[in-house]
Amino acid sequence: MDTLIKELKEEIINELNLEDLTPDDIDADAALFGDGLGLDSIDALSLIVILEKKYGLKIGNPDDGKEIFRSIRSIAEFIKANKK
Amino acid sequence: MKIFIKGIGSISPQNTIQNTLIDADIIQHHTEYLKCIEPVYKNYINPVSLRRMSRIVKMGVTAAQLCLKDANLTNTDAIITATGLGCIEDTENFLNSIIANEEKLLNPTPFIQSTHNTVGSQIAIILKCNNYNATHVHKGSSFESALMDALLLMKENEANNVLLGSSDEMTPNLFKITQRLNLWKKEPINHLKLSECKTKGSIAGEGAAFFALTNEANTSNYAVINALDVFYKPATNDAIDQRISLFLANNQLKTDEIDLVVYGINGDVKSDGIYNHLMESVFNKSTSTYYKHLCGEYHTSTSFAMWLSSIILKNQVVPNIIKLNNQPIKPINNILIYNHYLNKNHSLILLSKC
Repeated sequence: MDTLIKELKEEIINELNLEDLTPDDIDADAALFGDGLGLDSIDALSLIVILEKKYGLKIGNPDDGKEIFRSIRSIAEFIKANKK
Repeated sequence: MKIFIKGIGSISPQNTIQNTLIDADIIQHHTEYLKCIEPVYKNYINPVSLRRMSRIVKMGVTAAQLCLKDANLTNTDAIITATGLGCIEDTENFLNSIIANEEKLLNPTPFIQSTHNTVGSQIAIILKCNNYNATHVHKGSSFESALMDALLLMKENEANNVLLGSSDEMTPNLFKITQRLNLWKKEPINHLKLSECKTKGSIAGEGAAFFALTNEANTSNYAVINALDVFYKPATNDAIDQRISLFLANNQLKTDEIDLVVYGINGDVKSDGIYNHLMESVFNKSTSTYYKHLCGEYHTSTSFAMWLSSIILKNQVVPNIIKLNNQPIKPINNILIYNHYLNKNHSLILLSKC
């Protein structure tokens, strides 16, 4: 799990151009949107692209997105549970 | 109604961030094209906004910020921008990603940011400015079109202040493509001696320049924008002479009242003859200068010429690096900028001392 979380952090930093951050700066349990990392709706689209491109996963029910993208850990858990 | 330049800002291949052009600080580039000297953008743009911006957007937004600060303004009645090719870097990223991902799973940011009006809209978002906002994209007359828009808006009393500017960027890919069109010199040159070149092609460049225009007279203003004219593919040098004569007559000026001419000489033997003709005939008593050896050739380079003319009119100092002849420097009351892009889009911009 820790390896996947680190990999996700690196992927997000790279794809979202979070140049000033290192993986260690991101708390795996902190909120991605709003007060935490401060991501927005455009970033949400990028996260969907990362999930599909890198892990071959689609979010079947859009209503699940809010919970899946709550934090880095929740994304990692979704990947672990669904990756074949 | 007079329209004044109240503030200016420029990011160019020279050290222009302080709105100065000092002979001792001129930079000679040793690269295929002239790339901008860029500031630390974090000092000007919020990091959250900065992370999505490509180089041209950072350049444009920062030049606009420098300009507003110089003019001591926090907002504006209108934002009018110009670009010849827009956000090329993001367009390349987007197109490359379409190919690499077989038209699927595209990152939305480069697409969103690749539109031509990204610079103007980002400035509006930062300023929270919901007023008139337009971007003009007309190849070699893009900046002139934006300037025309600004002048009309102010003369029709639709705006008291206008933030006018332009931005264009060069990328390695764009350079390669335009090199195939024979736009650039094949041999290495000293770009600071561009006017002495006798071969085909020019040197590519880039830049962003912004102007805060106002209808309010003030001793701190840089210059008055008196008139603008654009014309397309003049048939002969005589046709250009006649156009200039008419332009000056419409502004109650004679040729010997133009104290300084800023020519768009770009070192291309195919098209610099027009400028040489004017220097030797119509304006043989004026101080002749040029600017593309400092910023390179690009669609909106006349904005750099207007930035340069603004500081000359305000400071009454002509840097040696831009001089083409040894006419004694008189008090500079009137400056004419004459440029053409590939001998298609020609323009005349007349500026005067405040």
